[in-house]
Amino acid sequence: MKPILNALAAAGTLAATALPGWAETKLTMYYPVAVGGALTEVVDGLIEGFEAENPDISVEAIYAGNYDDTRVRALSAINSGDAPQLSVMFSIDAIDLVDRDLIVAFDDVVESDEDKEWLNSFYPALMRNGQIDGKTYGVPFQRSTIVMYYNKELFAEAGLDPEQPPATWEELVADAKALTKDDQWGIMIPSTGYPYWMFQCFAIQNDKELMNSAGTETYFNDPAVVEALDFWRSLTQEEGVMPEGVIEWGTLRQAFLQGQTAMMWHSTGNLTAVRDGADFDFGVAMLPAHKRAGSPTGGGNFYLFKDSTPEEQAASLKLIQYMTAPERAAKWSMATGYVGISPAAYETEALQDYSADFPAALVARDQLEVAVPELSTFETARVREALNNAIQAVLTGTKSPQDALDEAQSTAERLLKPYQ
Amino acid sequence: MKLGNSPLISLDSIGALFLALAWISPLLFAIWAAFHEPTHAIDFDLAAPWTLDNIRAVWSQAPWLTYLANTIFLVTLVLAGQFLLCTLAGFAFARFEFRGREVLFLMVLLQLFILPEVLIVENYAIVSNIGLFDTTLGMAMPYMASAFGIFLLRQAFKAVPRELEDAARVEGATWMGVLLKVYVPVARPTYLAYALVSVATHWNNFLWPLIITNSTDTRPLTIGLSLFGAPESGVDISMISAATLMTIAPLLLAFLIFQRQFLQAFITSGIK
Repeated sequence: MKPILNALAAAGTLAATALPGWAETKLTMYYPVAVGGALTEVVDGLIEGFEAENPDISVEAIYAGNYDDTRVRALSAINSGDAPQLSVMFSIDAIDLVDRDLIVAFDDVVESDEDKEWLNSFYPALMRNGQIDGKTYGVPFQRSTIVMYYNKELFAEAGLDPEQPPATWEELVADAKALTKDDQWGIMIPSTGYPYWMFQCFAIQNDKELMNSAGTETYFNDPAVVEALDFWRSLTQEEGVMPEGVIEWGTLRQAFLQGQTAMMWHSTGNLTAVRDGADFDFGVAMLPAHKRAGSPTGGGNFYLFKDSTPEEQAASLKLIQYMTAPERAAKWSMATGYVGISPAAYETEALQDYSADFPAALVARDQLEVAVPELSTFETARVREALNNAIQAVLTGTKSPQDALDEAQSTAERLLKPYQ
Repeated sequence: MKLGNSPLISLDSIGALFLALAWISPLLFAIWAAFHEPTHAIDFDLAAPWTLDNIRAVWSQAPWLTYLANTIFLVTLVLAGQFLLCTLAGFAFARFEFRGREVLFLMVLLQLFILPEVLIVENYAIVSNIGLFDTTLGMAMPYMASAFGIFLLRQAFKAVPRELEDAARVEGATWMGVLLKVYVPVARPTYLAYALVSVATHWNNFLWPLIITNSTDTRPLTIGLSLFGAPESGVDISMISAATLMTIAPLLLAFLIFQRQFLQAFITSGIK
């Protein structure tokens, strides 16, 4: 195709001056914003940079709300026949999108060796949610892991070493006890918003993933998983280092910034906001280990939709390559707190300077070594809901971990039966 | 008059005061948080310094004036469409005898049971097929034939005494004349009350406008507000309070100015 285009371009130079943009490829891209603030401007800036480099491609980048809104938007558009060519969507949407036959694998679009090398340039942990049946459907863009934020001043006050955050479950309990006072809790781990995601931390630290990679089986009532939930519960009920009942996801940062808790587990997507809001010295650490260390990944990937022409697919690929290039990934990581998605991003001068000054920015990357994919199965929303309910029932003391997880597992098995 | 009868300390007014306080407390909290540094947003330290930084930061992060103009245009268009369609439909159901009237009216009422969100995919297809994608008209259209409005106006028209209509007839008025000169003026409080409900609903609508629009030129205020929702990192309470205040300020002002009329309209039309 390219040689023909070139020949046409050469032959049509005169015409082209009269009719600029005659071979223009138009792309529509949706993107969600999940961490708040003027990120639409950052994205618009990236798109302008891309268009300047590629005058034959014009991109309409549309802010589409949060991950759920973006999904509704994309499905509505596809259903009415004016599908976008690409979109950033939740990394755990991949199984469902493939099941509905809406997206194409990047393996089928990349051609040159250079492109193939690009596809292999990301941290492997960030690829796993997008890989199905040996093919890659999602390319990482805004990705996170869960890390532990801790208040160094409160550590020093309690006689703990501010440079030695707890590294095991035992140390976590011991430190949290030392940090708990009348008006201050040792630790808060949120249990609204994404309880299943937080719970994956405990489960993987107890050396058990919650589902198989095909998304057809779950292991919610495995003994190691039950033990993991029992440990989470014990932080409130036996150890008394975490407040009872559910802890709000959305306002936890505020509680941490006001010194109501000495430690919190939260997304790295929060890093820039914590940095801007903290008037005390804080540290960021990898989550404590038990049988092993670990955290799930989170966040959004790029997807390519079907029903676009080969030219559009090639242009989309170009756009995604531009957006995920090391310099852009570094910029995006600094603006948001998300993980730089490739090792090369951390070698850029910008991110090297930034992290030399602010080493906390590297913790999420270091944790990628031990990260596992986020919970994603067929019927993923309903399976997730069953697990969320189980976790909240246990944390509020209405069910035992074994009963709650047995129930969640049987719900999941019923939902997944048709796909096995 | 004995002190015990004084309305100031009666049980009723204590109850009313308590309810009013419960209702207004979220708004008071938003005002507090919007004008304080995030570190003081929830500690209610009266000595904490007040600041305009949040408002300034929020203002610079989205084209609020464009969004405001779009929202006003949207709610006006929806309301105009609703008044036109619901008046005609409500009048027909109230005063004309025709075959299948009851069944038809029942079907209109059934619409009240369907959540608009369920129809998003279908509405998207229809609106984009008739070429109204990313326009205010496209955003407004699915809400114009409001079942609630038809029901409300039908009830209001039914309550109008026949004698008024007959008197107008004697004067030689046409059907349209009867509607415009007799029924609509009598139902004025209902119109006003319905307008308030409609404007407030569409002022706050978010998902449908987000999905059916692409550009800043058509998008309403709620989309500016959603930028601060931050599902992954958790909200910045001061910023989102500032954005919320900015979004609701025009409605709040309008309510304060037209308070008397609104209250009277609600009392006479019986909507709550």
